[in-house]
Amino acid sequence: MTDPAIRVDGLSFSYGDLLAVDNVSFEVAPGEILGFLGPNGAGKSTTIKVLTGQLTQTSGEATVLGMEVVSQRDEVQGRIGVSFEEKNLYENMSAKENLSFFASLFGIKGFDPNPLLKAVGLDGRGDERVSGFSKGMQQRLMVARSLVNDPEVLFLDEPTDGLDPVSSNAIRALITEQAERGVAVILTTHDMLEADKLSDRVAFINEGAIVALDTPEALKMKYGSRTVRLRFTEGDGVREEVVSLEEGNAGDALKAAVSNGDLATIHTEEATLEQIFIEITGRGLES
Amino acid sequence: MTTPGERSTLSFLPRWSIVWAMMRKDLAAYTRDRFYVLVTILALVVYVVLYWVLPSTVNESIEVGVHHSDLDSAFEQVTSSGTEGIEFTEFASEEELLSAIGANGEDGSLAIAISFPPDFVTQIAGGKDTTVKLYVDQDVPDEVRRAISGFVREFSLAIAGDTLPVTLPSEEKIILGVDRAGEQVSLREKLRPMIAFLVLMMETLALGSLVAVELHSRTLGALLVTPLRVLDFLTAKALFGTLLALSQAVFILLLVNGFASGAAPIFVALVLGALLVTGFGLISGSTGRDFLGMMLFGLLFMIPLAVPAVAVLFPGSTSLWVKIIPSYGLVEIIFRASSYQAGWRELMPFMAMLLGWCLAIFGVGLYILTRRVRTL
Repeated sequence: MTDPAIRVDGLSFSYGDLLAVDNVSFEVAPGEILGFLGPNGAGKSTTIKVLTGQLTQTSGEATVLGMEVVSQRDEVQGRIGVSFEEKNLYENMSAKENLSFFASLFGIKGFDPNPLLKAVGLDGRGDERVSGFSKGMQQRLMVARSLVNDPEVLFLDEPTDGLDPVSSNAIRALITEQAERGVAVILTTHDMLEADKLSDRVAFINEGAIVALDTPEALKMKYGSRTVRLRFTEGDGVREEVVSLEEGNAGDALKAAVSNGDLATIHTEEATLEQIFIEITGRGLES
Repeated sequence: MTTPGERSTLSFLPRWSIVWAMMRKDLAAYTRDRFYVLVTILALVVYVVLYWVLPSTVNESIEVGVHHSDLDSAFEQVTSSGTEGIEFTEFASEEELLSAIGANGEDGSLAIAISFPPDFVTQIAGGKDTTVKLYVDQDVPDEVRRAISGFVREFSLAIAGDTLPVTLPSEEKIILGVDRAGEQVSLREKLRPMIAFLVLMMETLALGSLVAVELHSRTLGALLVTPLRVLDFLTAKALFGTLLALSQAVFILLLVNGFASGAAPIFVALVLGALLVTGFGLISGSTGRDFLGMMLFGLLFMIPLAVPAVAVLFPGSTSLWVKIIPSYGLVEIIFRASSYQAGWRELMPFMAMLLGWCLAIFGVGLYILTRRVRTL
């Protein structure tokens, strides 16, 4: 069995008396994308800060690529990539200079920023100062920056925030590509559809603790209810019926609907991750 | 071992490749900030021009207007034998004298005037009291007023045929140190320490700005998830700030003939001065909540630190408390070494004072920035 790229065991962190992360444990395998979902203040960022060596945990263990983060911080940080939610680029430098500067911090000689810029759709804009970039372009450059050292573990915080659909898809493709080449990815996002599409597994974090951790499909199966939405034409209007597949007479109800000449459309429906989160925690992701 | 909530900084030596990369980045950021480039160039030009425009010599003579009616030969005899530093201009009437000193409400050409009464010689020779009018402009310093009063008394004694009840050595004056008579320190030379100080402080604001921008734009957060350590960051900022301040201070002192004498102690003082202002830059950059806050913090330091340099320009304002200001040693070393050719031995107390302040302020600056970085 492959060693996990990230292993967290009984991790806790407190800001003074405030317990921000409460006995969290999980693993991420190489090539796996783990969606980290939870409302603001749930403990996601603090967990990421501990894993990236920005904070030292109060208790528990955190290892990345088999190295303990606290004692081997330098080695860990040399092999990870981090993309922040907040824009923190050097705005009076060009895109190429931003990437080259960070490459120099990793000790990379002869770094060529062009392939990365092309990968995030910024080819041809590399010599422009970042101050002239749109929010979306800056976001793409941040993702590119997280890849300058060809990392083995990626921490991405809202990587598609503020992007248009085309750019979002490009970034998602890039993330998938990284995972396919064996990079472990922790993806923090508020976009449930994105988490659903990209993540191999998702972790729901609430009040510092992981309240659910599984594949999106398994969570939907476990917590959601499968339904079929039927639409019938009725005079000039439309009538809707929802049939739960969990109920015993679902088959009869569907047969009757199909034999009804007024049936216009039929859609299967499953619970969204957000609905499941609300069901588990009793609170929404935006709160 | 770090405590929870703090960044781990286990290594004790900076990695120079990372420090060098940071410094190159900071230099690029500095040179691309049009505001700082403009201010730096303007300051260099203005200070140098101001220096060379100011007079290089000191007019040591005091021009005194005199009106008298009956002591032509006596006045000439006395003034020709011992009035070094005083130039007398005689007026035919007291009205003309008053007009020249501006007593009629007009702008006068003189600041000091003496009017002898018509019966001065008769009264003095007869051993009787008489009154000599001494007119002085309100701006004339008290010590000059007293000197002129003394001259009038001495003059009266000479007219009466008396001598001063004082015995002076044959050489008349005992000069302590180098005799600067005829080559007093000009205003231009007095301005030199102020120029060096202002250039150093200007770079304090530049460094403070670079630190503040790094903190507030959160780029530091991005740096600290790379192999860069807090120590590398601090070393890079401290080195960059010191070299920036030092290079500009050396450059401008070269332009204002500041290394003509005492080049070695002046250079050492500039190195320490650059470290000192870098400490202030780190403090203002770390504590200001935004760019404006950083500027206000910088100015808060700048004004009191300028006092020793002002004291050199206007010696009368020097007080004991000025000597405890951190920049005092820096200013005194530059002034004494360049204007009085003071040597290492004479400058050592100032050097020690400057070194002490430098270590203290630089240490405080590093400490505050470290705390700020660790609690980001």
